[in-house]
Amino acid sequence: MTHLSLTSVSKRFGEFVAVRDFNLDVKQGEFVSFLGPSGCGKTTTLRMIAGFENPTSGSIRIHGQDITQRPPNQRHVGMVFQSYALFPNMTVADNVAFGLRVRKEKDAAIKQRVDEMLGIINMREKANSYPYQLSGGQMQRVALARALAIRPEVLLLDEPLSALDAKIRVSLRAEIRSIQQKLGITTIYVTHDQEEALSLSDRIVVMNVGEMDQVGTPFEIYNFPKTKFVANFVGTLNTAVAEITDPSDGKLSVDGVPLLTAEKMEGLQKGDQVMIAIRPERFSFAEEQKKANVVDCRIENITFLGAVVRIQVLIGNTKFNMDTFNNPFLELPKIGDMDKVTFSKEAVLILGQANGYAN
Amino acid sequence: MNLAARLRKFPFWSWFWFLVGTLYFVLPLLATFEFSISWDPADPLKAYLRVFEDNDFWETFIYSNLLALATIIVNTILIVPTAYWIRLRVPEARRIVEFITLLPFVVPAIILVFGLIGLYSAPFRVPFTGITLFQPLTTFSFGTNVLIVAGYMVLAMPYMYRSVDTGLRTVDVRTLTEAAQSLGANWFTIITKVILPNVRAALLSGALLTFAIVVGEVTLASFLGVDAFGPYLFLLGQHRAYEPAALSFFSFLLTWVAMGLIQLFTGGQGQAAGAH
Repeated sequence: MTHLSLTSVSKRFGEFVAVRDFNLDVKQGEFVSFLGPSGCGKTTTLRMIAGFENPTSGSIRIHGQDITQRPPNQRHVGMVFQSYALFPNMTVADNVAFGLRVRKEKDAAIKQRVDEMLGIINMREKANSYPYQLSGGQMQRVALARALAIRPEVLLLDEPLSALDAKIRVSLRAEIRSIQQKLGITTIYVTHDQEEALSLSDRIVVMNVGEMDQVGTPFEIYNFPKTKFVANFVGTLNTAVAEITDPSDGKLSVDGVPLLTAEKMEGLQKGDQVMIAIRPERFSFAEEQKKANVVDCRIENITFLGAVVRIQVLIGNTKFNMDTFNNPFLELPKIGDMDKVTFSKEAVLILGQANGYAN
Repeated sequence: MNLAARLRKFPFWSWFWFLVGTLYFVLPLLATFEFSISWDPADPLKAYLRVFEDNDFWETFIYSNLLALATIIVNTILIVPTAYWIRLRVPEARRIVEFITLLPFVVPAIILVFGLIGLYSAPFRVPFTGITLFQPLTTFSFGTNVLIVAGYMVLAMPYMYRSVDTGLRTVDVRTLTEAAQSLGANWFTIITKVILPNVRAALLSGALLTFAIVVGEVTLASFLGVDAFGPYLFLLGQHRAYEPAALSFFSFLLTWVAMGLIQLFTGGQGQAAGAH
């Protein structure tokens, strides 16, 4: 059942269109991430759901009720901010209790709920601490507890992990997901970090210059990007211009090197130039030549990235990156070696006509 | 570390200027104090006792304190929401408001008081109707009190506004407001529970300055004909020798006590806001 619904939502700031025709239905308990670069409109959309910005057009509904014109304090949404936004004059317990006190709940009920929320975030022992006595990760956990304490219809998180260091970010995002699933709360999460979006979300909305580029599960977004922007923004991607040689059999070539793709070539004809994309991890050295595409290459560069080794290979005149897991017992090729790489025909994605990607 | 190395590390000039500054401020105070206790060597506190035994002192002092309290309360009600709203919603208006807050520095109090007297010493009538809304404010005591508090509000506005504005600068007003709104708070709750406690230190500083201005103010009180502490001090200074010195020293002590109280009440909060 649709819990949160955005219909044809747009937002203009003078001449600048921040969000254009945004449509999204979010199910009860679903975790949806808005992913995109700075200025793509993801935070503006979130702020419209929270009520801090009014849409120029369109409507926002929660449980079928139109809340588009409702002030923020009557929307019953919980929000977690990048800068924590804890009230500096209040203790952790008072921060968590704030929304309940505003609602004039009974003292006993407030005490019980605060204790419950502090238990969820494992911070009971910090109940009487002030925000300045906490670390960034602890402050954000308190902010999460404060937002959840009021039992909001929707939880909104605006880049909540951006200000934290890498390790805490990873542990806290797992905690956020676990709490969200435990409480079954509908959640919208704004981030520019693809790893965060991929690891947390039921669905991802990839946004670019105020528009939704693609909506899908993390699996779909990563493996089947529909636009070059999505393909480039989510994960690392090799792109190349290819020429269609036989559209009915999925044949094409890059710099004269023949390749096969599983993608449909509807509307494309022999001789058409298309932009193709192949993920680095889809390549492997051709020890077994069962896969559809086996091509000669020259090793151009090798970069050690820890768990992964990135090898740059030259196929025809085009450079591709291939990622292989680091295995200390296997010998890596040397720069300048000639070798063969292989990848399945499903790995070759067609992003569209090459002239549409002039950039 | 040997003595020469220690001496090289000793911040001589810093201490030198600190001592010069201290002497500059402390010596006049000591001289005043010494003069105030020199009236009667047998009874060094004679000047102080004379002052405190004087009914006029207590009457004018309490009256001025009440005026200061009223000014602080009304100024707080007026200025905190204004400074908050400007910071939150109309930051482009800050320059205009800052200009307005500077006006009391360039328009002398004498101009202000004659303006007030000129405007409010006649009955206030609704234009073109002849209906009298209220009698001349200068003709009854409550009206005069309203006028003088209004005048003091103007005089204290630069200090109060700037203190509050500086206090607001130390907190993320927008995000805290949005956080409170998302938790269901209305504007009154946001201002009283979130904004005011976080600018408490700044507000107390502004209040102290307001207090100092109001308690010692002479021009408005003299021309509006009220028995305030400022004119009392002025008259005392003209007719007596030792009592004004005792009162000056007493005023200093009062200011220090007020500052100490501010430190006492805002120490923890200042730290919290600073950390944020």
